[in-house]
Amino acid sequence: MKAVDQPLASTSTTADPQGETLRLFQEHGAALYRFCRSVLRHTGDAEDVVQETFLKLLHHLQHDGDTRNLKSWLFTVAANGCRDRTRWRLRWLPWNAERDHRTVDPVDEEVRLKPDTTTVARKAFRALAPRDRLLLSLRAQGLSYKDIAAASGIREQSVGRLLARALDRWRKQCVA
Amino acid sequence: MRCLTDIEVQAVVDGEASDECRAHADACETCRARVDERRDQMETIASLIDADGMPASALELRLRHAMRDAGDVRGATVLRARRPSPWRSVGLVSAAATAAVIALVVYGVLPRLGAPTTLSASEVLSRSLQTISSGQGVERLEYEVAMDGMTDGPVVIRQVIDRDNPHRYKVASYRPDGTIATAISQDPVRQLRSQLFHVDGTNYIVRVGAIHTPVLSIPQMAQALVETSIGIMQAKSDQQLTIEDGPTGRQYIVEIPPVTPQNPTATLDLFSARAVISGTDFRIQEFNATGTILRQPFSVSVKLRTHEYIGGAATDESFAIRPGPDDVVLEGQADEDPVTELMTTVLRELGRARGK
Repeated sequence: MKAVDQPLASTSTTADPQGETLRLFQEHGAALYRFCRSVLRHTGDAEDVVQETFLKLLHHLQHDGDTRNLKSWLFTVAANGCRDRTRWRLRWLPWNAERDHRTVDPVDEEVRLKPDTTTVARKAFRALAPRDRLLLSLRAQGLSYKDIAAASGIREQSVGRLLARALDRWRKQCVA
Repeated sequence: MRCLTDIEVQAVVDGEASDECRAHADACETCRARVDERRDQMETIASLIDADGMPASALELRLRHAMRDAGDVRGATVLRARRPSPWRSVGLVSAAATAAVIALVVYGVLPRLGAPTTLSASEVLSRSLQTISSGQGVERLEYEVAMDGMTDGPVVIRQVIDRDNPHRYKVASYRPDGTIATAISQDPVRQLRSQLFHVDGTNYIVRVGAIHTPVLSIPQMAQALVETSIGIMQAKSDQQLTIEDGPTGRQYIVEIPPVTPQNPTATLDLFSARAVISGTDFRIQEFNATGTILRQPFSVSVKLRTHEYIGGAATDESFAIRPGPDDVVLEGQADEDPVTELMTTVLRELGRARGK
């Protein structure tokens, strides 16, 4: 579990927004991707959201946006991107293997017969409500309560309570 | 102070608790145990999320491309070609022709002349390394291998590996005439391990069940060897990068010119190496190298034929060695050492055949 990160204050100049964007991609791209992947549960969508987030960052830097806490800014934009993407998916309802109960996935069948701890934990995490997944994913990437509140649009005072409940629900799912 | 609530315990785990709560968690054995338990759970979740791995190396390329083109449009749409209006197209024909010539020179001619490119050889190798080590799901590979001393010609290797559980794999080698030479498979999920040998026209399969601990993954060992080789290539100062744009897309060719061995005692050393790397996903398409491994000289040439992630299409059969009607199957008992387990099974069978 990562420690709470200090706010990333961009010390470098934004005279080169493209260079700065690429530098931040190197620094936070992987964490942002993992966050989006865990929220969206779709590799392609996660990559799209990460790309859109960094393009927005480029635009932000080109227009002299606030650079005091860019890590929090990135996760906030990515969280919004994930929400938009989820809404879009719900509207279009594409075929989704997890919702298609007509067939039996052989892998799932195998897991049911002999599930290991990691598989159970992963399935339990995927079964959580979107907001629970969002909060736990943000925290897993080392964001502070203040940054989680900004990214998820909830009050900072509620973050601890909601995180605790999300974790309890995950634990119950694991033993269910 | 009273014992902590779950929310306060969570805050202690997250480093957001008040001094009073932290002090209580340190002092109270019950609360400390609760903090440790909750911390373990959060770490499990973090590891689950981390297991999702790294984004594809192509994502950075996409981003660079999108940033270069990002002007009045933003988001994913920047990757879609914009449809020009007819009147505008007509007016821009000559400009487009000029641009096409410039693009041809910049992207087609200059790289072949060794002109500076946006990526260095080290960066290409680094991304290739990232691609190798960030695989997920069930991966199927087929490649051709030629080594010094192979009199019959190159062999074809077919490999299936579960990247999420690298001890679950199957590797089979085929002779140039297409007949199977050897195979090994291990499936910790079903606790099975099988080895196949082709001797005097017959396939012998030694199969053991209830394996206690899976042995080292052969694909992982091979991958580690390739990663080490790439690392050595990166460390060399005289890498040469050539870019070729062919019908299958861009390819990066990184070469280390032949050198006289400097360190014959090294576990692995390369005297010359050449890697052809796909510009699309930075996967190694061809790899040729000469050097020493464990102080023995070697020369190897590997060429990737096919690569795919089969994901949900993977079944138990994907990791099993199924005997044919004329194959001889020997059932044995698992051992920590697969060589011992193989020898024991074969010798026991020999003893039975002799009536002992």
